[in-house]
Amino acid sequence: MSDSPTPDQDTPTYEAAREELVEVVRTLEAGGTTLEESLALWERGERLAQVCQAWLDGARERLDAVIEGDGS
Amino acid sequence: MPTLRDATLESPAPVRAVANAVSQWIDRLGAVWVEGQIAQVNRRPGVGTVFMTLRDPIADISMTLTCQRTLFDSLNPPLVEGASVVVHARPSFYANRGSFSLYARDIRMVGLGELLARIERRRQLLAAEGLFAPELKRDLPFLPARVGLVTAPGSAAERDVLDNARRRWAAVEFTVAYAAMQGPRSASEVIEALEKLDADPGVDVIVVARGGGSVEDLLPFSDEALLRAVHRARTPVVSAIGHEQDSPLLDLAADVRASTPTDAAKLLVPDMAEELAGVTWARDRVRSVVTRIVDREQERLDQLRSRPVMADPRTLLAARSDELGQLLERARRTLGHRLDRAADDIGHQRARARALSPLAILQRGYAVLQDADGHVVTSVAGIAAGTDVSVRVADGRVLARTTGVDADTSNDHSRTEGTDDE
Repeated sequence: MSDSPTPDQDTPTYEAAREELVEVVRTLEAGGTTLEESLALWERGERLAQVCQAWLDGARERLDAVIEGDGS
Repeated sequence: MPTLRDATLESPAPVRAVANAVSQWIDRLGAVWVEGQIAQVNRRPGVGTVFMTLRDPIADISMTLTCQRTLFDSLNPPLVEGASVVVHARPSFYANRGSFSLYARDIRMVGLGELLARIERRRQLLAAEGLFAPELKRDLPFLPARVGLVTAPGSAAERDVLDNARRRWAAVEFTVAYAAMQGPRSASEVIEALEKLDADPGVDVIVVARGGGSVEDLLPFSDEALLRAVHRARTPVVSAIGHEQDSPLLDLAADVRASTPTDAAKLLVPDMAEELAGVTWARDRVRSVVTRIVDREQERLDQLRSRPVMADPRTLLAARSDELGQLLERARRTLGHRLDRAADDIGHQRARARALSPLAILQRGYAVLQDADGHVVTSVAGIAAGTDVSVRVADGRVLARTTGVDADTSNDHSRTEGTDDE
């Protein structure tokens, strides 16, 4: 997984990304979207999931670094 | 008596005249009740008078006190150095040696009750003055750079404070200022030591420590001058006098009261081991909280990603393709029906067409007569012999020329030609 995303403007914050991901899943599950929309939504969902995962990996890396850092 | 005022350089007054005059002046003062502390006692056998020094309880002033040996011996409890007394004395001038002293006619020991009462009065006085006001109390530094200690040299109190403080925090630094912690000189020495430490900028807390003792022993620590010195001090002062139950006024004037010298050590420096444990505990708690947060968020993200719509988008497409399949299926089915119906319809039409088409009739032996212009001849009228005609038979046409015409007589023929041959 990539390390924590560089905090440029378009990278949403973790909460924003997660919130939108929930929305994407809800819309897709509700159905009623055109095929094209569904595909676009799904791709958006994948992208958002990667962003969230990157944030979490980054956090865990920083946490582990500290914990290993002083061997406690 | 020539007044001394007349004495001149030429006729000076004799010493005895001056001594007598002074003696007369002093005798006029009369007796007075005086409060003080017995500093020295000089009682020599065979001498009728006992010589003592009476010190002022606050100021560094003292006077010679004399009294009859019989009076001195009659005192119970006996008069000892350091005892506080109230004497009824007359200022007197001993002409022979020109010495001045207070001649005591009555000496009252200041008893414990009296002593405590006196301290209580002093407490109320100083409290009213605001010396003990709580808002004046200053906090002790959490980690003092240097601790000033006022105590008696080599005393248990000194050892208690130093050992306990060092055990809690090895790096603590002390400046010890020794002072008498008992007896008449104690108050002033403690004040001196206190002011020396207060002046030292390196010292950021001062503790006055003394072991247990009687009320008299601890009297210096209720001394007004000491209390004012503590009040003036800029450095926070800790009072660690006697045991738990002892409470000289210094306890009230000081910024913090420690019950014993050992307790003072606990107040002065934190227990490093305890502090470190606290820090470690806090750090571990922070880490576990953050770890829990990251785990929980990871779980929620995994849960979101595992939803079918995300994990397996084919489900989306599958739904769509099924739908497509069904639509296609329906389309074909309906098309098929329509074609069938169309086919039937065509078949039907063809049959009808065939039925109506003259060909079948012709096949049944009928023929169709058409004139040269192709018009169908339906009546003999207008047809003359020798006109060219063609006759349509099932499989083709016969060209002919007419030889004559034979008109029917009955008119039912025209009717039959109008009906269809179903």
